[in-house]
This record gives sequence, C-alpha cells and structure tokens, in this order.
Amino acid sequence: MSPDDPAHPIAPLACGRDAATVWDRVAAGLAPDEHERGCPHCAAAIADARGLGGVVYRMAAEPVEPPSSVLDRVMQAVRTEFRQHELLALDSPLGPARLSRPAAAGVLRHVVDRMAGVRARSCRIEQPAGDAVPTGADVSITVAARFGVDLASVTARVRQMVIAAGGQALGVPVRRVDIDVVDLLDDLEPEDGP
Amino acid sequence: MSTPAAVPPDRIRVTDALVARVAAHTALTVTGVIGLSPDLGHTLAGSVLGPDALRPPPPGASAVVQDGAAEIALSVSTRLGYNCRDLAVEVQRSVAAAVHSYTGLAAVVTVTIAEIALD
Repeated sequence: MSPDDPAHPIAPLACGRDAATVWDRVAAGLAPDEHERGCPHCAAAIADARGLGGVVYRMAAEPVEPPSSVLDRVMQAVRTEFRQHELLALDSPLGPARLSRPAAAGVLRHVVDRMAGVRARSCRIEQPAGDAVPTGADVSITVAARFGVDLASVTARVRQMVIAAGGQALGVPVRRVDIDVVDLLDDLEPEDGP
Repeated sequence: MSTPAAVPPDRIRVTDALVARVAAHTALTVTGVIGLSPDLGHTLAGSVLGPDALRPPPPGASAVVQDGAAEIALSVSTRLGYNCRDLAVEVQRSVAAAVHSYTGLAAVVTVTIAEIALD
C-alpha cells in the first residue's frame, strides 16, 4: 500500500498499517491486536478514534443552547442592515466600493461644524440612480447661522467646504450643494471653528 | 480478476471562512483602516449559519469560494483624514493580492466603508 496506489491514495501510518483499518477496529469495539498493542503509531490512532468518539457522544448528549449574545448581535445587525441600502458608490476600477451614506453625511456635517458662525443641522447626499460609474453627488444641507453674519458669504464658504470635503475626504465628487439656512445659531452653542 | 475501483485523489479545499479570515487580516494592515464593521450577513454567518461553527469568520468579512474564484465582502471603518475612495481601492488591491498569493484564487473584493471616526 502506498500513496501512489490509486486504490489507497491516503498514506498509511508509519508502521505500514492503514489508519482506517485501526479506526474500524475501534469502532467495532475490538481490542487492540498484538501489533497495535506494541506500536506507538497505532496506539496514537486508537487514541484519536476513542477521543473523537468521546467528543461526539458527549456533544450529542449535551442540550443545544445558543450563546446569549446571539439575539443582541442579530438585532443590532438587523438595525444596521436597514441602513445598508443607504450607500454611496465609490469610483473604483477594482470592483464594487461603497460608502455609508450616514457616515459620509456625518463627515460633511462635521467639517461645517468646524467653521465659524455656522452649524450644520442636517445633511443628505444623493447620487443619480443607475449610473454605472458614479458621476457626482448632490448634497442638501441645512444650517444654523449666527445672527449678523453675511449669509451670502457664509453659504459660499459652506458650499466650498462641502465640495472640498466631498472630494478630499470622501472621494465623492460633489456636483451640487443646496443650502437651507433654517435657524439662528444659539449664542450658547459653542464654536469649534476659528 | 477484478481491478480495484478508482478512488479520487485527495483534494485540498480552501474554505470560505479561511478566505474571509485572510481578507480581514489583510484589510486591517491597510493604512487608514481602523477596524471591521459587521453587517447582517456577516453577523449571521458568524453567529448561527456559519459552516465553520467552531471558528466563525471574522465580523465584517465574508467570502464565497466558487469555481476557483473568491467573492469577498468587507465592511471597514476608517478615520477622517483618509480619502474613502482611495482607501477602498487600496483595500481591494491589497486583499485581492493577498488572497491570490496565499490561496491561488482570483478574488473580487467588495468594500463598504461603513463608519468614519471623526475624532
């Protein structure tokens, strides 16, 4: 018997005995024969067979209890999955690449929040449906501005900041930025910007 | 005289979980990737449905090996300051190269950047 024998492609034990034969004898409840009693290779195979049998019988006897964390993990994933369709396509030559829309909106809100005199309230990013290669995104953002600032100047800065962040931080070209100024910035609201 | 029936030769199969693990390991070495983010598919594969129940695929990575190729899905987290598109392309390139080098499989890697840390 050898590995080259097509009828027995699996190599035998070092002693020449087929491990399957040894396992079959264990499964049949036969006591080790004279060779097996003195052979360390067969003894190891017998131990393997008995060990597996012990594990199988023990596991089969155990009640099946899912880990307590399974439900929490699945529910968390289900909630996440509801947002999975909220993905932006990234232009990649190597296959599908996507960016979480909420994460991208969070970045744009963050960079606007760092500006002086203005705070982001909400942000929505849309890409044209059906484009094989993403051509650009349209951003709609609502902001609160400090009383007394030049709104035209502030919104121009916001627009430029969003376009720059879209390209540099997200890798998503921004082709249009709609800005709604919806509120006055509360004097008590801290400013992070310069 | 009868001839012994031909027995198929031994084979080595690269499992989905192995490819997913290689992909996860490689993705975490890409500069700008700060973690993996599991989605529903990843969680189910790792929690209850995974064929390799003793050691499920890492959260945030899954793979299907079929017809000598691997389809890999990775969901990663990054930090503000790394260009998401460039990062996704680099993850795709690195993971496909690592999987091919380790297993010989061609790989198509789908990358989702799920979270961006702002701190």
